[in-house]
Amino acid sequence: MDANQVLVEISTCFKEAMRNGIGAEGLSFPFDPEDIVDDGLKDICRRLSAVFDMINESYRYAELLARGDLKAQASRTNIFAMPLKGLQSSLAHLTWQANQVAAGDLSQQVHFLGEFSNSFNLMINSIREKKIIEQQFKLITEVLGEGVFLVDYSGKIIFSNPESNRLLGYSSSEIENVLIQEVIHKQQLDGTLYKPAENLLFDAISIGINYDDEGAFTCKSGFLMPVTIASRPVFKDEKLDGAVIAFRDITEQKKYEQSLETINKLLETQATTDALTGIYNRVKFDRTLITEISKAERYSSPLSVIIFDIDHFKRVNDTYGHSAGDNVLKRLAKLVGANIRETDVFARWGGEEFVIQVPGVSLAQTAIFADKLRSKIEEFDFSEPERITVSFGVAAFQHGDNGTTLINRADKALYRAKENGRNQVCHSE
Amino acid sequence: MGDVYNFNWTDLGDLAVGRPNLGEETSVIVYRLMQYTFKDVLSKEIGKQRAVELFVQAGLLAGKEFCNNVLDTSLSFNAFIADLKDKLVALKVGVLRVEEADMDQLKFVLTVAEDLDCSGLPIFGESVCDYDEGFIAGIFEQYTGKKFTVKEVDCWATGDRTCRFEVKPIEG
Ligand SMILES: [Zn+2]
Repeated sequence: MDANQVLVEISTCFKEAMRNGIGAEGLSFPFDPEDIVDDGLKDICRRLSAVFDMINESYRYAELLARGDLKAQASRTNIFAMPLKGLQSSLAHLTWQANQVAAGDLSQQVHFLGEFSNSFNLMINSIREKKIIEQQFKLITEVLGEGVFLVDYSGKIIFSNPESNRLLGYSSSEIENVLIQEVIHKQQLDGTLYKPAENLLFDAISIGINYDDEGAFTCKSGFLMPVTIASRPVFKDEKLDGAVIAFRDITEQKKYEQSLETINKLLETQATTDALTGIYNRVKFDRTLITEISKAERYSSPLSVIIFDIDHFKRVNDTYGHSAGDNVLKRLAKLVGANIRETDVFARWGGEEFVIQVPGVSLAQTAIFADKLRSKIEEFDFSEPERITVSFGVAAFQHGDNGTTLINRADKALYRAKENGRNQVCHSE
Repeated sequence: MGDVYNFNWTDLGDLAVGRPNLGEETSVIVYRLMQYTFKDVLSKEIGKQRAVELFVQAGLLAGKEFCNNVLDTSLSFNAFIADLKDKLVALKVGVLRVEEADMDQLKFVLTVAEDLDCSGLPIFGESVCDYDEGFIAGIFEQYTGKKFTVKEVDCWATGDRTCRFEVKPIEG
């Protein structure tokens, strides 16, 4: 073979490859260089054969890399494979970086890989921003001063902020993954357990609606904490994902409300009670009389009033002193109070004068009732003095009456009882 | 005299004062010229093997000093590597990349592309970044407090396109 034949052989081989590609077989050097007689040409052909081998090797190497095999190797002397080795090391590094990012390392940046560097670094920046937003959200929940839960749509707690842990006494790891309706919000404020359909917070979570109300959360200690609850649904890709629940301890507020209620009741009692005898005063009597009169008017039901006055009370005060007089008033109130019905309204009218509303009872019956009271009083031992007597006036409601007209008639009857010699019951016509 | 020289970071001088016009940077040619002529002379004086050992030793000292004076050792590993990478790019030493990191066993595979010592060199058939081996070992030693051995397994001079270093702690 001379040089010309060698070139033709090699050219034919290339022509083939340039039409069909290198393929799985690779390029094969068309003859054995050792067959060449001329030493100079043999040397050239050996080198050309080595180039063929390098092309084949780098071709296979590139194929492996293209398939993602980062363990592929090419021999060190292969000059065609060198840029691919640079690419291989970049890919190996990127693989490590991606794993780092997946593990939460956001310090990764890619340098000197053109467009890819930009894209990767943009991705990292956007993950960092999301992380910052996440941290800010956490920070907000921390400074908020309200308990915050994140739950999924089944009520499972995914996140609890420090305030919620502080309020309820759980650590995050204890409370996360528990169902809120089974552990935290299973009881009403009075301690009774919710029946399945009654738990409105859970309903709101599972169907994705807003919920705002007061309720109770059960602490780790078992203590039932009154709370205000605000729940808002969270959607992911337009599908219900769960809810954010904010709650606040209102134990103090509840206590305050209760104490306010107590004070109001006390004030109400003070405003309607006679301080000396503890029975109703005139204010309360007038108020209930209006109600009773309108009832009597509407339903044509009977309504009677009794007004009574201690006979010669001035003498008691003069003889035994004012405190003895007060004692007589107290004992009398107690005695009468013990002998009336629950529906009767018994009040001190002023001085030694008392009134009773007797709803549902006719004039005649009331007069009989009043006389029973009169004899009970007459027989009672008041100690200082032992005996007192009382005069009674009785009147019954008539169509068109108001409080004043009704009382006035009773008062006139009382006056007659006094006139007629006291210790007796008189009634109006 | 018989005395020794102890390196001190401040011996690098005040470049702002010393080079008001030429600045901090020089050419890679000059750096390599010094490194390879040193290698030439030393290998002839004390043998190539010993010369290489001394290069590694000098690199180790450089790595420790570099870590002490330029890097922040209080950072977590990931942040430390990110910082190291930035500094090596800024100082135009090379582009450091991590291929593997086993934090339990402290074993790493690192690559340095466009390495100051060897990128663009002819193929010698053997790795030449002895100084780099020491430099990396010095940085890791200073950061972790443990001694490391660093071997350059691939180099531009062995036909690769990046230098690849295997880093592992010396047992015991
Ligand atoms: Zn190298």
